[in-house]
Amino acid sequence: MASQSTPTVDRTAVLDRLDSVTDPELDRSIVELGYIDELCVGPAVFVRFTLPTAWCSPAFAWMMAVDIRDTVSELPGVERVTVRLADHMHDEEITNGVNEGRPFDAVFEDATEGVEAVRATLDAKARLARQYRAVEALLAAGLDPEQIVGLRWTDVTFDPETERAAITTGGVVVYAPLLPLTEYVDKARETGVLLDPDDRLFVTPEGIPIAPEAFERVHHRTRSAKTNMTGQGAVCEALQDARYGRDDPIGQ
Amino acid sequence: MYHHEGEDVFILDSHVHLWDASEENIDHEGGEQFIQCFYDYHTAFTPEEHQWDLETYRKYGPEKMVRDLFRDGYVDMGIFQPTYLTDFYAEGFNTTDQNAELATEYPERFVLNGQFDPRDDAGLEKLERLKDDYGIRGVKLYTAEWRGDSKGWRLDSPEAFEYLEKCAELGITNIHPHKGPTIRPLNRDAFDVADVDDAATSFPELNFIVEHVGLPRLDDFCFIAAQEPNVYGGLAVAAPFAQNRPRKFGEIMGELLFWLGEDKLLFGSDYALWEPDWLVPTVMNAELTPEQREEYGVSLTTDIKKKIMGENAARLYDIDIEEKTQTLRDDAISQQFDLGETETAAD
Repeated sequence: MASQSTPTVDRTAVLDRLDSVTDPELDRSIVELGYIDELCVGPAVFVRFTLPTAWCSPAFAWMMAVDIRDTVSELPGVERVTVRLADHMHDEEITNGVNEGRPFDAVFEDATEGVEAVRATLDAKARLARQYRAVEALLAAGLDPEQIVGLRWTDVTFDPETERAAITTGGVVVYAPLLPLTEYVDKARETGVLLDPDDRLFVTPEGIPIAPEAFERVHHRTRSAKTNMTGQGAVCEALQDARYGRDDPIGQ
Repeated sequence: MYHHEGEDVFILDSHVHLWDASEENIDHEGGEQFIQCFYDYHTAFTPEEHQWDLETYRKYGPEKMVRDLFRDGYVDMGIFQPTYLTDFYAEGFNTTDQNAELATEYPERFVLNGQFDPRDDAGLEKLERLKDDYGIRGVKLYTAEWRGDSKGWRLDSPEAFEYLEKCAELGITNIHPHKGPTIRPLNRDAFDVADVDDAATSFPELNFIVEHVGLPRLDDFCFIAAQEPNVYGGLAVAAPFAQNRPRKFGEIMGELLFWLGEDKLLFGSDYALWEPDWLVPTVMNAELTPEQREEYGVSLTTDIKKKIMGENAARLYDIDIEEKTQTLRDDAISQQFDLGETETAAD
């Protein structure tokens, strides 16, 4: 007799969780990138993933494996998660290390930089790239640079119903597309840029408020962060095509 | 010589290799991984009809190289950038001494660059020897190269500064640090371009040509290069984007032209990673989209392309293009391949 108290694990829910895991260098979902190539769902979940090349940074691979393990483990009914990294120069070390819950620097003793420092650097870049998109959306919505640099976190509210963000500036409400703003706020919170509701919404790469005369310069810097990420994404995508062709990854 | 819209374009390919990754030469598994990784890059960014088989790719030899560059590839001159990797390959992957054989056979066609590594024993003497033997004007540096327990070195370290001083003293003015894709990027340091900043400020008499424009740290590179008058960008790896990611190529060029300007970018095929016979026309025909031109306030005119494809590198290596063109018109290679006056327009 099946126990009433054990919730069944739903494949869509697992995929949703996996979709929230990003390739930290590209700031894109690993599901969207087609990295997931095997998924078994039940109280014991098994996820197999493959990266564009066998030489992808072990630190990046490690972060993705840990994020998969941690986010899927949180689902009700999941008792165990096994992650397998395939076709990588360090696939055994990473697979075993992550499934055994060992720390990165115990597995890779010769790494000179901890995995969290690498993650912080990449997250800061992702925040800049997302800031570029959010600011572009606000410029398109009619805000001027001075209004944009003056915004505080409290000035923005999200309405998922209408898929709009409402921005209050100088007593006026302006509407912008939801997604670039929510994506930005998520990463800004994660990176500690937004802690207090009264914090400035946008800051420089160094994390300080933007002076109106510095707006353009900062905007150009965030644009280059965006170009770098999508450029690197194009390298990975081309390598992935060269290595595997276009099969049917899970979730696409 | 390439012909574009009625104009002659001098092609100075600033990044070529003559490597040996034959199985006999590999004495560490890293050597096999390295050439496999190169081959992935080759197939990922080469049109299918131009792709090589892996055996050819491992070791193609000097005759094929000369044909590929000068007979079929529009290249007027090439700059040898060595890659030693002596921990992986018994005789080295692509050393200055190996490259020298071809460079001394065709001195008008090749510039031969050397290398240094501050971790070498008696490295300063080795550098002097390269200058004495070959009169090198530049060095290619791999700061991320692993050696023994070391996971690389920094260009702004006291040890590296000793070598840069020696370069200045010997008149080795062109420093080409590799800042781009790397085989074992275990540490972020491998991509870090920050060390170039300090070195460039401390040695204003030297030029720093950052190979692969810092990919995947293009943004950091642009920011540093914009502030340092002696920092340049080498386009190897970025150039083949023009083939299968033309929009992305436009965006990267937009950034580079915006931050560095048209006088500080150098074309390089990275031969044999990619071949100039298809890459040169592809880059020469590349354009920014109207949106990109508007966004970055720059465009890829023929004049700018001429700078990128040859004039900028010629300036750094004191090559007088007009004089050189005359010399090359009937040199051994032009005679051998009947290049002289009978070239057909390629566009």
